[in-house]
Amino acid sequence: MKRKNTKKKNSQNSFSKLSVFQNQKYKFKKKCPLSGKGAPVIDYKNIKLLKRYISENGKILPSRITSVSQKKQRDLSLSIKRARNLALI
Amino acid sequence: MNFYEHTIIARQDTSPSQIKQIQDKYSKIIENNDGNIVKYESWGLMHLSYLIKKNKKGNFLHFKIEGNGKTIKELEKNEKIDKNLLRFLTVKVKKLDLETDYFKKTEDMEKK
Repeated sequence: MKRKNTKKKNSQNSFSKLSVFQNQKYKFKKKCPLSGKGAPVIDYKNIKLLKRYISENGKILPSRITSVSQKKQRDLSLSIKRARNLALI
Repeated sequence: MNFYEHTIIARQDTSPSQIKQIQDKYSKIIENNDGNIVKYESWGLMHLSYLIKKNKKGNFLHFKIEGNGKTIKELEKNEKIDKNLLRFLTVKVKKLDLETDYFKKTEDMEKK
């Protein structure tokens, strides 16, 4: 899934200029923390997990920062919105 | 028969007996409309992250229901007219996970 590389390039200009010189191997090492084997279940009740993926004032962090896979990011945002509706977050 | 997770937020100043009343009333409604309650969790008094109708805290009731769309429609019709309910949320789920209880009483320390 090559989409992630282009996103990183133009997203932060200063960073992308720098990343040209970086060693190719280290740049995209991060794996999605939620889609592994022992990954925690994404649920609107599991506010301990959801709190890790929102900023201080409650905004949902983008997947390019938290390196979450696209599928998990959709589930995450849906459950965060449900938790907001119940005033849990 | 689908699986639903239904959460109700009752007002802050409902006494425990009233909560019992609310719970019986809605479980009766569910039973009448050929649904059944798989599990009932009461999450108790919890801080709301924002004011809902000028309430800082809310009593959370959580039902895990097995039923069809008609039961949910009937349930929500009655909840709209109920005065001391702040908010309710129904989520259709593929399968009910009965073992993990995130808001058990033993986990009070994580609440600040």
